[in-house]
Amino acid sequence: MKLRFWGVRGSIACPGPKTVAFGGNTPCLELRFGPKNRLIIIDAGTGIHPLGNRLVWDDIQDGPINAEIFITHTHWDHIIGFPFFRPIYIPGTKLKVYGPMTFEDDSLEKIMSDLLRYRYFPVLHGELTADINYSQLGECKMDLGDGITLKTKYLNHPLLCLGYRFEFNEKVLCTAYDTEPFRNVFSTDTNAEDFDPVACDEGEDAANKENEKLLDFYRDADILIHDCQYTKEEYLSSKIGWGHSFFEHAIDSAFKANVKKIVLFHHDPLRTDQELFELEKHCQENFGNQSDLEIIVAKEGMEIVL
Amino acid sequence: MIQVFNQDVDKLIGLSINEPSGKPRHKIKLKSVGQHLENHHRSIILNHYISQLPPFPATANKVMEICRDVNTSPTDLTKVISLDPVLTGKLMRLVNSAYFGFSREIISPVRAVVMLGMNTVKNLVLGSSVMGAFGKRKNFRALDMDMFWKHSLGVGVISKLIAQKRNIDKNFWEGYFIAGLLHDIGKIPLNSRFSNEYLNILKIPENESLPLFVSEKKILGIDHAHVGNLIAEKWKLGEEISDTITYHHTPETYQGMQNDILFTVILSDHFANSSEIGFSGNRYLNNIYPEVRQYFEDNAEFSFDNISAFNGEVEKEIEKAQIFLKVAG
Repeated sequence: MKLRFWGVRGSIACPGPKTVAFGGNTPCLELRFGPKNRLIIIDAGTGIHPLGNRLVWDDIQDGPINAEIFITHTHWDHIIGFPFFRPIYIPGTKLKVYGPMTFEDDSLEKIMSDLLRYRYFPVLHGELTADINYSQLGECKMDLGDGITLKTKYLNHPLLCLGYRFEFNEKVLCTAYDTEPFRNVFSTDTNAEDFDPVACDEGEDAANKENEKLLDFYRDADILIHDCQYTKEEYLSSKIGWGHSFFEHAIDSAFKANVKKIVLFHHDPLRTDQELFELEKHCQENFGNQSDLEIIVAKEGMEIVL
Repeated sequence: MIQVFNQDVDKLIGLSINEPSGKPRHKIKLKSVGQHLENHHRSIILNHYISQLPPFPATANKVMEICRDVNTSPTDLTKVISLDPVLTGKLMRLVNSAYFGFSREIISPVRAVVMLGMNTVKNLVLGSSVMGAFGKRKNFRALDMDMFWKHSLGVGVISKLIAQKRNIDKNFWEGYFIAGLLHDIGKIPLNSRFSNEYLNILKIPENESLPLFVSEKKILGIDHAHVGNLIAEKWKLGEEISDTITYHHTPETYQGMQNDILFTVILSDHFANSSEIGFSGNRYLNNIYPEVRQYFEDNAEFSFDNISAFNGEVEKEIEKAQIFLKVAG
């Protein structure tokens, strides 16, 4: 299994002199499996644009492009690159696009198709020459063929969002973005007007159980790519409920789940290269020596072979 | 002409119209075939309606107000959902269909909000599939829906109180409440889609000597327990809720494993009817089913005397709910 990061930034693309080292594109991962070099893409943020160019320049010589795209959720930063993914304009391209059920009125296909409407873009989805099929997923386990197994798990984000766990040749890669720790959203203050003791207890229990289930989902992964948009201080001061994690939480989850390598991902657009280098060093020095867990911060262009 | 009709019917419901001898059946058979056709037609209407079941008129305004308020508290959101059997059922359907391994569990609104988040729950409640026939009282011409709502809520509250008095693990209390709240959900489609027939069912004097579900079966060919079962299966509400809905008038035929929650709801239903907490259309007051009586007599932690003390608590809970819902204005 091979992995390449084409976009590691959260919220909005942020090219510029302060993001050269870690990159400014929004989420897109390229996974390659086995001798067939089977292509699975996770998310279609702006990083999918350079990936698409590479596929058209290099891979197409070996035959039409055949890929599966797993969308974690349909917030802009995870889908906005889709109209700029060049293979969708090439006859013969076959794409299967998967994404979470959201139980909104619009389907995944409608949401993705709406990116290609004249009000936003000069080409309509119906004019695309690629063969594109859409499927919505809940929590599930799927056999993708070629020895690849996929498990999905809902994360904690303001929109339903899926984490993906790929298992291949006894190696495990797991994604957990965008997410924050599940928490009891019901008042625990006995003097609060809306305090309800039963809801308080049940909310606490539900949050604990969901957090346990997340750890089970990450369990023994060789690599966990985890949302890490904020520092703990930022998170606690004003970002609770925004659906993103902080460094300490991501690393602690990886420890508890016996993960071998954690890749901190989905960087805040305001985070400069300098700050990311310092955060990486801080995490490695303060947490990395407590176990065998390897801690790295995701960089655009970075490749990992499992 | 009749011959052609017979052949069509034959194809439609798979009945043989002619006797093996080749002689046509007696004319009386045609009437039963017509009845089959009518029932088949009703079943299509019911199945279609179940997919767009609207929330209760009693909760409608408050639901809209809460879901459109960007600063809604989770407590208010879950409270309004748990006061509405349709919204509670639909939320369970969502969790059961999307989440792995939940198909047999009762998911309370509180748990669902923690798992799915406020936005998703609000979206579900405001979604067009839920709000399609939102708050249209004309859909509820026969049974008074406010009284019916009060009965459903009352049975939910009593079931939960019984669970509490019996020292059942508090993690299960909400399940008892939800089972009670949803036990009569099958009456909604019957009342809405066959209002004229349902008016007759409620009016016929003999109803006073027949349980409502028997009258329903007599007039419509189907009763609310059966319709409720269709809903429970379609929404994947799990065995506890589904069995409670399906067998709450026929415990003597029940062979499953959910006796405890089923019998609790049956007892609560009996108490709500005899204490006239709301009105669910049933004027016939039966004795407590012997199986149910026996079950609770064998249960050392329970005394029937407990129930009479619930009256005040139930009224208080319903009053609190009414105040909460009316605040919406």
